[in-house]
Amino acid sequence: MPDSQNITIETLSNGMTVIVEEINDIESVAYHLLIPGGIINDDPAFIGSSLIIPELTSRGAGELSAKSLSEAFDACGIRHSESGGHDRFTYRGSLLSSYLDEALRLTALMVLKPRLPAEEIAPIQSLLLQDIAAMMDSPARRVLVEMGLRYYPEPYNRSGYGTEPGIKACNGRQQRLDWERRYGAKGAVLSIAGRCQTKEVLKIVGRHFKEWGGEAESRPPFGPLPPHARHHIPFESAQLQICLACPSAPYGHPEYYAAKVAAGILSGGMCGRLFIEVREKRGLCYSVYARHSATKDYGALMVYAGTTPERAADTCDVLLEALRSLGGTIKADELSRAKANLKAALVIGEESSSARAASNAEDWWLDRRVRSLAEIISEIEAVDCRKVDEHLGAYPLNSFMSVTLGPKEIGA
Amino acid sequence: MTAEIKLAKLSNGLELIGEHNPNRQSAALGFFVKTGARDETAKESGVSHFLEHMMFKGSARRSALEIAYELGNLGAQANACTNEENTVFYAAVLPEHFPRMQELLSDMLRPALEEKEFETEKKVILEEIALYQDRPQFYLFERALKDYFADHPAGNSVLGSNESISALQSSEMRAYFERRYSAANMTLAASGVFSWERFVKDAESQCGHWPSGTAQRVLSPYPARLTYREFRKKNILQTHVVFVSEGAAAQDEERYALALLALIIGDSTGSRFYWELVDKGLVESAGCDNDERDGLGVFMAYASLEPQNVEQVAGVMQRILKEPGSFSDAELERAKTKLVAKIVLNGELPLGRLMSLGTEWTYRRRAEPLAQVIERIRSVSRVEVLKALERFSLNTWSQYRLIPE
Repeated sequence: MPDSQNITIETLSNGMTVIVEEINDIESVAYHLLIPGGIINDDPAFIGSSLIIPELTSRGAGELSAKSLSEAFDACGIRHSESGGHDRFTYRGSLLSSYLDEALRLTALMVLKPRLPAEEIAPIQSLLLQDIAAMMDSPARRVLVEMGLRYYPEPYNRSGYGTEPGIKACNGRQQRLDWERRYGAKGAVLSIAGRCQTKEVLKIVGRHFKEWGGEAESRPPFGPLPPHARHHIPFESAQLQICLACPSAPYGHPEYYAAKVAAGILSGGMCGRLFIEVREKRGLCYSVYARHSATKDYGALMVYAGTTPERAADTCDVLLEALRSLGGTIKADELSRAKANLKAALVIGEESSSARAASNAEDWWLDRRVRSLAEIISEIEAVDCRKVDEHLGAYPLNSFMSVTLGPKEIGA
Repeated sequence: MTAEIKLAKLSNGLELIGEHNPNRQSAALGFFVKTGARDETAKESGVSHFLEHMMFKGSARRSALEIAYELGNLGAQANACTNEENTVFYAAVLPEHFPRMQELLSDMLRPALEEKEFETEKKVILEEIALYQDRPQFYLFERALKDYFADHPAGNSVLGSNESISALQSSEMRAYFERRYSAANMTLAASGVFSWERFVKDAESQCGHWPSGTAQRVLSPYPARLTYREFRKKNILQTHVVFVSEGAAAQDEERYALALLALIIGDSTGSRFYWELVDKGLVESAGCDNDERDGLGVFMAYASLEPQNVEQVAGVMQRILKEPGSFSDAELERAKTKLVAKIVLNGELPLGRLMSLGTEWTYRRRAEPLAQVIERIRSVSRVEVLKALERFSLNTWSQYRLIPE
């Protein structure tokens, strides 16, 4: 773990927050601009519009045509991407530190002065429709999308791929209006981490983003979850995909880290209960895992397994037994392994400048503050068996939404 | 540069390579075993990959559960991978756990291959084969390369088939292990925050008694097959196309030129494929790659797309591949800058650096500091690329398609 982290946070007069973390023993620097919005804020007639806007902003901005813009990034070797997601727009990149000014200049051009050429919308629509087709061809990806559609309330249940009618309905005028209305500075977070000088970075950011105005979107209210049910989607494939979901602690909840540790005991590394029971002892699956995911509004535990149809019933029985029997049976060594895994994953996983930039931005966005690695580690340290059991009492693992995808329904 | 590469060799032939870098937060280490699908007989098909799994299933000193729990206690980000010619076992850990991780990994590399565990893991392998059957791009690549390499072992399947895995006996796996996992056929590499002296000393006591062995790989040329073939698969929406031609081997100097050409032609941003296919919405994705292997290489260009566009897309790809020498100086410079940035960023993570060090040593017995690799890439001239194209023209290929049935 780094001895100390050098993090500065400033809010510009337009309401955009800038976070700079200096890490000067590496050569690279990374930026991560997060604008709240995304598919959950799309007009119901245009679900998927959020996927088109960022891509369209990259097709020419300010004085630069699409090709000149792309060449300007490539001339500096900047690895960048502009994307729309479930609840945000993201502009990110990693690069050698001497090109930071140019990277931020190009990003600001796309965000503030995109050309939004209407003739580029059709090719982007075609790409996005093909993304949907590729997802439909990949059962392991598709089952998670199908779960999201059924598990969450509208609009949080929307697929991250958008919908075919929504994408097809988008047009030049609608895209320009969407960009004008939704790309606002207030609420946006620009996070920079890596080799840099904070003072210099703040000057550069000010220069490129000071003209940006407006306010980013706020999140729609999160309604009640639909009741749990069993769903099967017939699909001809070699394996049956199984996905289970149930509520868990949201971000910022006092039990948030207990929920992370509980998921770690089930599924951390190669020693989680699910891996040991389902794969190591019985050889029922190649891939089996549980993930805790959370925002301020909700938390969920998602469990996945892929197995051949004739072994699906056994797999499901073992999975459910492992989940239901967790509370009250956690041993001290299991707890300490799950915590060791979480801590190591945090330090090792956040060693790159791009991971640091992303996680600082995310932290600010969720909680209006940036936690140091040391602070997160002490939160993990504080979790004990009692806290995990209390968490499992509040969020019991005994009722799930289930979605299966494959040639045969379990028990059929 | 604060990092320095060091080398050592044990008396049984096990080679050690390490780059200590005190400015990192973690350490990574791994065994790079020079064995893979290419080194299997038809009867053994899939054994390299299956054996990789068995390394986690118990040694003389530890049971499968003990290995799993110890990896957990160390908070190790550990895994293994097998391809056509290498099997790699690696882990990233916090620096204080490095010595224990080294001992654990060394112990795992002498597996018990116990019958009951063998039979349980066989089921997991069969599940993994089923999983990949449901991935269309993998499905096509495996069939395309098998056909392209004709009967050459470079086209062997990594996973094997249901039949070969079901029929495999643990005694056959044991024989394969003894043939291939000898000390002189592997490299132990480390990077990040660790002590080189302790690393060497521990390797001596943990691995110094392993048999040296005589594992070899016959590097025979393959008869380049030029053909067109279609495969069909039920229940898919997208079509997949791949062109395969001869590429530069891991030992060929031309690999730099071909890596740059692959970026010019098929990188995910600003490449020829990008502007002619992705930007126009004609494909879902497109790319290309020079797959450098031991003594041979394949250059592959691929795309996934809507079925009705297949003739148009394949036509555009062929046109671009027919004129690889038509790049501008600016395109070459951009490709060089991209490749350098990619290498620097990747090298900042101990695990990323470990992979380059281990691979570099396995194939070329060379240990180059990053600065030297970067200088070499920057030195590639237009003339050098054109010269590489005299040897690897890229415009005689086999084309394979996977089409929805």
